[in-house]
Amino acid sequence: MGAVTGAPPLAAEDDLRRDRSGHLRGRTVLDRCIGWLLPLLFLVAIAPILDLVYWVASRALPTFTLSIITTNPSGAAGGLLSPIVGSLEILLLATLVAIALGFFGGLATAEYLDEETAGAIRVTANVMVGIPSIILGLFGFIVFVKYFGWGASLAAAGVTLGIFMTPYVYRATDLAYLSVPPHIREAAVGSGATPLQYLFRVATPIAFPSVLTGIFLAMAIGVGETAPILLATTPVAIPPLSLFQPASALPLYIWSGFENGLILPVAIHRAFQAAFLLLVIVVGLNVLVRIIAARSRRRLEGLFQ
Amino acid sequence: MTAESGAMTTPVVAVDGVSVRTRDRTILDKISLDFSARSLTAVVGPSGCGKTTFIRTLNRMAELTPGLRIQGRVLYLGQDVYDPTVNPVVVRRRMGMVFQRPTVFPASVFENAAFGLRLVRASEEEIDAAVTEALQRAGLWDEVHSHLDGPALALSGGQQQRLCIARALAVRPKVLLLDEPTSALDPAATQRVEATLQHLKEEIVVILVTHNVGQAARVSDRVAFLHSGHLVEVGATADMLERPREKLTEQFITGRFE
Repeated sequence: MGAVTGAPPLAAEDDLRRDRSGHLRGRTVLDRCIGWLLPLLFLVAIAPILDLVYWVASRALPTFTLSIITTNPSGAAGGLLSPIVGSLEILLLATLVAIALGFFGGLATAEYLDEETAGAIRVTANVMVGIPSIILGLFGFIVFVKYFGWGASLAAAGVTLGIFMTPYVYRATDLAYLSVPPHIREAAVGSGATPLQYLFRVATPIAFPSVLTGIFLAMAIGVGETAPILLATTPVAIPPLSLFQPASALPLYIWSGFENGLILPVAIHRAFQAAFLLLVIVVGLNVLVRIIAARSRRRLEGLFQ
Repeated sequence: MTAESGAMTTPVVAVDGVSVRTRDRTILDKISLDFSARSLTAVVGPSGCGKTTFIRTLNRMAELTPGLRIQGRVLYLGQDVYDPTVNPVVVRRRMGMVFQRPTVFPASVFENAAFGLRLVRASEEEIDAAVTEALQRAGLWDEVHSHLDGPALALSGGQQQRLCIARALAVRPKVLLLDEPTSALDPAATQRVEATLQHLKEEIVVILVTHNVGQAARVSDRVAFLHSGHLVEVGATADMLERPREKLTEQFITGRFE
């Protein structure tokens, strides 16, 4: 009975310290290599981004003063008030356009349209994401600046950028309403909810955090876009007083700043400061997206089993 | 097939020749069955016999499944629920429904119970009173009264299912439809739901779909046995489970299918 001492040698198939593939000492060499290699590859991937942030910040911050965000540009000097305000105004208008088209479009395909029509719209939206943004810029120029006669203006830039942002908002909305669990719909309808009551009282509270995430993500992508607004507006020294005056924008300012910088080195400084501000806005919007997503995950935990 | 409940009481729900078909299959074939006040009928049968479709025809949930053709009449207090002048939304408000899996909404316990009342814009006082009463009738009040504002999704599965029963009861329906309400619950939670149902059958019409003969024996007054879309046999629970008249019924209750 005494299995502890003097036990007969174990057969190979019973031995816990051996295996047919040979001796296994804890983690294998390959295991270890991958454990080191993957973080290394990740570092290689983000190094250029970190370098870029450092590069922009180190050139923007030494000469950064409060007057940069409180005064308008004058020539190559002055502040960046008009591109900041212009960017925000264009973004606001574009967001309204993207919500009007994207949110209601997503609602329509997720809740109301038949599968074939909805499928066609989904494909169109995916294609729209793939359209090079300079072509969208050209479209905005032809339709809004020329055909509608709005000229280079806040309206033309905002609407063009809004069209650029629409598929992002659309996809988030469509997906958010489609992913409301079917048993939740059954329960609501079974309790006597009308289709509209289901939509407002049940589906929207569940879907809204994802929709909001999509909207902010579209804003974060849109605010840095240059091509869609390049032909629709033009850099100017003062913020627009109406929809049909041109609005300057940070990406345009960076672009023209570098162009002028070839002749006038001081313009480069302003371009870096504009780039830094744009990075701050983009990072800020992304952080906001994270916060909303985390909050909604906590609230809806347990719903999607 | 006898109408064993007697002619003294007029039925609350009368199913009259209901058939449900898809393009190439008959799911229910001319079912007729009455449900009188204060009774608990268990609808039993093997998987795929049409028992779920059957209770979904009663409150017009079946028509939400694309491709189903529904024929025949379902009378609620003498009115055909399929009459073109009847809004299905109103039918569903009159006959509460509880599903296989707990289906609480991501909101507080209170708001879940109040859902049906909010749909009809009841006053706050009315909602407060009805929610308390519904939670008591569903046997959940003692467990949740101290945290009515807490999230319903934090409750256990059995509590969530009783909350769903409370949600259905809060609008004071005369009929409660339950589609295998304990199939996702553990034995202890199942027992609490069954105890709740035994109280409810003293007050309203309860129609319980179950594949579990033991559950039918424990809680029901009457059993209806469906097989391949046919109503094979219906009778008082004790009679039918001890002395089934039909061969198929006997095979089912002795566990020879499924």
